[in-house]
Amino acid sequence: MSTIATLPAIAADPTEPATRTAVSVIGADKIFTLGRGKKLQALAEVDLEIAEGEFVAIIGPSGCGKSTVLRLAAGLDEPTNGRVEIFGAEPRQLARQHRLGVAFQEHALLPWASVRSNIALPFKVAGRPVDDARVDGLIDLVGLTGFEKARPKQLSGGMRQRVSIARALALSPDLLLLDEPFGALDAVTRRRMNAELARIWGEEKITTILVTHDVDEALILADRVIVMTGRPGHVRTVKTVDFPRPRDAEITRSSEFHALVDELTCLLDASDGAAA
Amino acid sequence: MNTAPRTSVKVAYAIAGGALLIVLTQLIGTFELAGRAWPPLADVLSYVLTPTGAGLLVRNSLVTFTSAAQGFALGSAVAVLGAALALVVPMFRPGLDRFAAILHAVPTIALAPLLITTVGREDAPAVIAALSVGFVMFVTMASGFANTGSAQHDLFTVFGSNRARRLVRLELPRAVPAFFDGLALGAPAAVLGATIGEWFGAPMGLGLVIVSAMQNYQMSLLWAAALAATAMSLLAYLIFVQLQRIAMRRFT
Ligand SMILES: Nc1ncnc2c1ncn2[C@@H]1O[C@H](COP(=O)(O)OP(=O)(O)O)[C@@H](O)[C@H]1O
Ligand SMILES: [Mg+2]
Repeated sequence: MSTIATLPAIAADPTEPATRTAVSVIGADKIFTLGRGKKLQALAEVDLEIAEGEFVAIIGPSGCGKSTVLRLAAGLDEPTNGRVEIFGAEPRQLARQHRLGVAFQEHALLPWASVRSNIALPFKVAGRPVDDARVDGLIDLVGLTGFEKARPKQLSGGMRQRVSIARALALSPDLLLLDEPFGALDAVTRRRMNAELARIWGEEKITTILVTHDVDEALILADRVIVMTGRPGHVRTVKTVDFPRPRDAEITRSSEFHALVDELTCLLDASDGAAA
Repeated sequence: MNTAPRTSVKVAYAIAGGALLIVLTQLIGTFELAGRAWPPLADVLSYVLTPTGAGLLVRNSLVTFTSAAQGFALGSAVAVLGAALALVVPMFRPGLDRFAAILHAVPTIALAPLLITTVGREDAPAVIAALSVGFVMFVTMASGFANTGSAQHDLFTVFGSNRARRLVRLELPRAVPAFFDGLALGAPAAVLGATIGEWFGAPMGLGLVIVSAMQNYQMSLLWAAALAATAMSLLAYLIFVQLQRIAMRRFT
């Protein structure tokens, strides 16, 4: 409440025609009631504006409200004060129209269903015929060919996360929300998944919000990186990342890239200190 | 591999326990430690093996089994529907909970006259079995449905699921282990319910055999009938526990 939110610069590229706003969060506070009269302010005056087709990464120390922002955008929670609009409508609208893809931090796979059925679930939930070719393509994309019939408990943590990402992509959503989707992956698989996600995004230009704690990952994937600080969570800085795409190893080895990594890491450390 | 020795230890314990129980019942009977109403087990078994004894027990067991099975099916079906209704229309939940609790709290003895005048002597055992099973099943299913993995719930919300698809694709499959739990707990309740239901003037069945053997002081027959009812209930329980294990493996 006393915090002054840093207003993020709207991706205003004068050379491009004005794009539609996909996500706008305006002055959102989120206060959780914890019982026995206790309250916890998770978000304070968060402002976000994400253009259609934009890829935004949110980084910040754990507990600073990143997942809460995603839940607001998904329509799973409502802000205590302020507004959230997705494509100009209330967030739930998008979910009802089956245009939303979400990969939760806790992958939330159905334990009784195979990898294949889990990925096909959005089709069934939407009452559409399952597009087998699309499901096969996604299984291949996340490197789970040969595991189609396996059930979640037979998979490693990283494999489960990949199933959850494939499921989020199943209906080619208009908005993709990814909550630390690569957290359980080893470094090699993680970079491969980063590259795949960058490729998909390049092809389908799905508006994406990615929550991550990996600064490199944010810089490889995002058009803008939003740095959040905690207690209560708010936007500290917004950094525009304008490395050319595709961002291959050459770019990630460049000194500009490293400088940006250092700068953001410093900001994270500082916000960690502020939160402590 | 490493569970094999543990399993064999368990089996050894079970066999030893069973053997101990058999020897004890035999000894108590032989030395009349519990009076003359407790015959030696060997006498009971030898009665079971006579053609008259065997025929009588098999015929009456079948009747009780039929009533128990009918009550089991009816009670389970109604309870599952009731619990599902409480889940889909939360407004009904408190009412259904209280209704189940009240039905359960009314003693069978008090219900008997009512049932005999409404459904008749022949069907009363099945109805009493259904009431006993129904309560157990309702409670188990209600808790199975209440077990909301909130992440999965959120998942269905973000994919825009309607109520029906959420029920069919999430809530029902998730409650399958609870359903088999209910069946395993309900099976003995059904046998007990049917047997007690037969005390109130049923034309046939183990319950009737128990009552008439008691009145005529036929202790071997009384114990043989009790043994048959116990065996039936235990067998049903063991079968459904196995199914419950399979469901648990398949659905979690
Ligand atoms: N449903 C909830 N009820 C109460 N407190 C919550 C709830 N969800 C999140 N919080 C609290 O809000 C803060 C932000 O949480 P979260 O958004 O999950 O952080 P992050 O994803 O950045 O780690 C944390 O302090 C967390 O404990
Ligand atoms: Mg989180």
